[in-house]
Amino acid sequence: MATVEERAGSGGSGVSEEMLRGFFREMLLIRRFEEKVEERFRAGDLPGFLHVAIGQEATATGVCAALERSDVIASTHRAHGHAIAKGTPVDAIMAELYGKEEGCSGGFGGSMHLYDVEVGLLGANAVVAGGIPAVVGSALAFKLRGEERVAVAFFGDGATNTGTFHESLNLAQLWKVPAVFVLENNGWAESTPAVQHSPLPVDELGKRALAYGMKLIEVDGQDVELVYLAALAAREHALSGKGPVLLHLRTHRLAGHYIGDAQIYRDKEELKREWESKDPIALLRSRLELSDEEFDAIDVEVTAEVEASVERAKAGTDPAPEDALKWVYA
Amino acid sequence: MPEVTYREAVRDALARALREDESIFVMGEDIAEMGGSMGVTQGLLDEFGPERIRNTPISEMAIVGSGIGAAMQGMRPVVEIMYEDFLTLSMEQLVNQAAKHRTMSGGQLKVPLTIRTQGGAGWSPGAQHAQQLEAWFVHVPGLKVVFASTPEDVRGLLWSAIYDDNPVVFFEHRTLYPLKGDVPEELEPIPLGKARVHREGEDVTVVATGRLVHEALKAAEEADGEGISVEVVDPRTLLPLDEETILASVRKTTRCVTAHEAVTRGGFGSELAAIVQHGAFDWLDAPIERVGAKFAPLPFAPAMEQWVVPHAADVLEAIRRTVARA
Amino acid sequence: MAVEVKLPRLGQGMEAGTIVRWLKSEGDAVAKGEPLYELDTDKVTQEVEAEAEGVLLRIVVADGEVDVGTTVGVIGAEGEDVSSVTASGDGAAAPPPETREVEQETPETAADAPPEATAAAAPEGVPEPEAPAEAAPPVSGERVKASPLARRIARERGIDLASLTGTGPEGRIVADDVERAKAAPAPAAAPAPPTASAPAAPPPGEVEVVELTSVRKTIARRLTEAWDAPVFQLTVSADASQLAATRERMVELMREGDAKPTVSDVLTKLVASALMRHRAVNAHFVEGRIHRHPTANVGIAVATPNGLVVPVIREAERRSVQEIAAVRADLVSRARDGKLQLADLEDGTFTVSNLGMYGIEQFVAVLNPPQVAILAVGSIAERPRAVAGALVVAPTITMTVTCDHRAIDGSEGAEFLQTVQALVEAPALAL
Repeated sequence: MATVEERAGSGGSGVSEEMLRGFFREMLLIRRFEEKVEERFRAGDLPGFLHVAIGQEATATGVCAALERSDVIASTHRAHGHAIAKGTPVDAIMAELYGKEEGCSGGFGGSMHLYDVEVGLLGANAVVAGGIPAVVGSALAFKLRGEERVAVAFFGDGATNTGTFHESLNLAQLWKVPAVFVLENNGWAESTPAVQHSPLPVDELGKRALAYGMKLIEVDGQDVELVYLAALAAREHALSGKGPVLLHLRTHRLAGHYIGDAQIYRDKEELKREWESKDPIALLRSRLELSDEEFDAIDVEVTAEVEASVERAKAGTDPAPEDALKWVYA
Repeated sequence: MPEVTYREAVRDALARALREDESIFVMGEDIAEMGGSMGVTQGLLDEFGPERIRNTPISEMAIVGSGIGAAMQGMRPVVEIMYEDFLTLSMEQLVNQAAKHRTMSGGQLKVPLTIRTQGGAGWSPGAQHAQQLEAWFVHVPGLKVVFASTPEDVRGLLWSAIYDDNPVVFFEHRTLYPLKGDVPEELEPIPLGKARVHREGEDVTVVATGRLVHEALKAAEEADGEGISVEVVDPRTLLPLDEETILASVRKTTRCVTAHEAVTRGGFGSELAAIVQHGAFDWLDAPIERVGAKFAPLPFAPAMEQWVVPHAADVLEAIRRTVARA
Repeated sequence: MAVEVKLPRLGQGMEAGTIVRWLKSEGDAVAKGEPLYELDTDKVTQEVEAEAEGVLLRIVVADGEVDVGTTVGVIGAEGEDVSSVTASGDGAAAPPPETREVEQETPETAADAPPEATAAAAPEGVPEPEAPAEAAPPVSGERVKASPLARRIARERGIDLASLTGTGPEGRIVADDVERAKAAPAPAAAPAPPTASAPAAPPPGEVEVVELTSVRKTIARRLTEAWDAPVFQLTVSADASQLAATRERMVELMREGDAKPTVSDVLTKLVASALMRHRAVNAHFVEGRIHRHPTANVGIAVATPNGLVVPVIREAERRSVQEIAAVRADLVSRARDGKLQLADLEDGTFTVSNLGMYGIEQFVAVLNPPQVAILAVGSIAERPRAVAGALVVAPTITMTVTCDHRAIDGSEGAEFLQTVQALVEAPALAL
């Protein structure tokens, strides 16, 4: 099966300017959210540990924009961007990070276990590749019941080495379930660069799909318009009954693996270059030719939204300790 | 009352459930044309077709995981894991995911998944095809664990497990598949969490599971001849456990023996002993005895296997120890 | 506006870090994002960047280990006054020991009586309040092997296990053995006293080594803990005539079946009243904070065969003396039988220890942590006093309060004790 690269010509009739502006706002919202989360963590407000998706806003926004509310996604430990993009209210996510009852998981999950079933977020997952099989199962259910819905799994390049990944792709393709496997390839599995974790060149990791006879779509994960168009194509293919799709998005993690990760394993010069040339927000900003005034207007708005969510979260309700037993059994 | 085998009883529960509810389907290795390595699903493919009786590749993680996904979407999948030894390959999905989604999501999700599996020694399968691992799962909050020992129990309990909204690990025992027993004409669901008293007695309570229920009954007969009156209780559901019935029995008899085929150390009998010790401390007239397999990977040669695994004689010895005098 | 540079939490589980060296000096200009100092966490040494722009006005902590949240420096506009900034964090870190000022207002009273009376039970401590486990422990001191059931039956029937022979394995006494025994104790042995725990007396001339029971071990541990608090003691004597009279009136007013009120019961009530007027004394000192309690749960020290226990009379300020007497009688009897529950021992806010019945005139009690004060009460005895220039003999009671100076100052302790004295001399004020 051949590799397919779907591209929209730059400046061509891809996506409307209005829609791109919508993407821009969302991506900036995600960025400001993640920056605020970093700040609050360093101030000692937030328990546990956190993984921010700075640099990976376009993959979250682009893919989720192509999905319907009734489609479902499973995310990773780096889930805030996916949650926002899929439609979980910012307030609910922030409250969850603060461990409050008003959180999207009721304070039971935290950053790596964000759930919002109403908008189709089936869970962030603290186990690498842990959420992928359930996506196969959800897609199977949609197919058996004749529902026009897709199930989407987000995961990183590190996950493509797990047994879970391989078993899941094999099974999904075998049963031709309506699933999309989104590989957000940032070239790092925590502190291990791809060259140390996979024998394939990092840019070719998507080819693993070919081993299962699965359709592969590859685009630059920092270009939100391309991501969006590719995700639309993937969704269509998955729903057509022709089988699932591996959507390979080459992206860049511009911050550490977790907050507090000093990234001593990373070349500082290279990181600086990535910031300068690969920031998806900066790229879209210059594409839209946003003036400083326009940018600031959006920035003020999204920053206020994030700050309000912090205030609301701080004023939220702490769960009673005994609530720990509440959901053990249905 | 019709008499059926344990195997037929399992099949009957599956078939009735499949007929009644479109959202139920079965997945596993070799379960379609072959009817399963233990023959449990024989005939089901003809009635229900390949979409609902699904053969899978050898991918325990993905099989259990896709069962989780389908369950999350409101279906009631029944996954067959060929040998309980292979549960180990699906542990991540079972323990980290299935058991925890409900709590981690703050109650938004349910995982009404049933995982059927089987194990049992006595036919020289070697160490990797005969383990009894139920104790591991009793330790995981969010799972339920069932281990039935008779045709009537296995049928009624499997039905309840399928319709339970939680992930249930449902253990069958290989050597019990041909065991015949009476079952009611119509399937009577048996609630999870209720023990069954197979035999009443006055002197000692034997709490046994799986194959050892039958070994315990044999030992009880013999003990009767020695003037020892033995009560045999089968918890049937290991998690949640019917502590009340067990404690009431021990308070009556003042002595307790636990019996299972699994290795004694760290086995379910240890949890039982702790519960009994705590709940019936002032009623105990003798230390609690645990009967189980000896602490070794199961050897192949029949004589060694026979020695490692417990039988009626071991239960009888334990019974005698509880009533012993100096 | 100056910004305090606080040590950031750089990772999950990070509680502190060590500043290795500053990369900027006081007076240097600092841009946002510029490396400011080098920090050693237990995982890695890394540069910490400035989060504000301006001039590094002050380095508050030059180097060394610092808790997360501690202010280590100040960035602001040139010329701003930041002399008031200290290293104290957001309460995330307790101030380092060297900066804590501890005053002993009064040197410890030369109390010859060792400060014995405290602290077996604390609100959070769990000393085992159990009596000796067997109802009839063996007179010989050897452990008897008996099944739990046999023990229970023996306990219920008052049968001495030591008098039985066990027919169970290894000579264990089983239920049957007890059931067959006569209900009355074996003719040869006198019944053992119910709470006897005395082992056989050692032969004369030998040193007797007494192992600590778990209750004693707890007492030892907690007293050692209490010893670390910087304490001071204040003593006052009061005319006890009204106190005694009040008590006699209460006894007259008793109904049949009521517990007989004692002077201690009256004192408990008076102390509770005083505590409500001096909240600072009705408090706990926990992890650097003072927890003032809204109600007075007064613990009374009770001697039992196993050691000291301090059961608590809750909300003593709301109860009448009669009610207090009833609660006290129940607690003391259960304490002596070893039947106190954990709930009886929890949540005490203040302790009263009374050695008056032993004729002790005055003593100093050891704090019952985390309570910030304890009152030691001596005997009521006729003693000479000077009243308006004349010598009189009056019943006098001497009380000493031991206070934790981390939570209470001398004046606060003195005011409290003054109130107690006033109430003792005129109990009607509080009843």
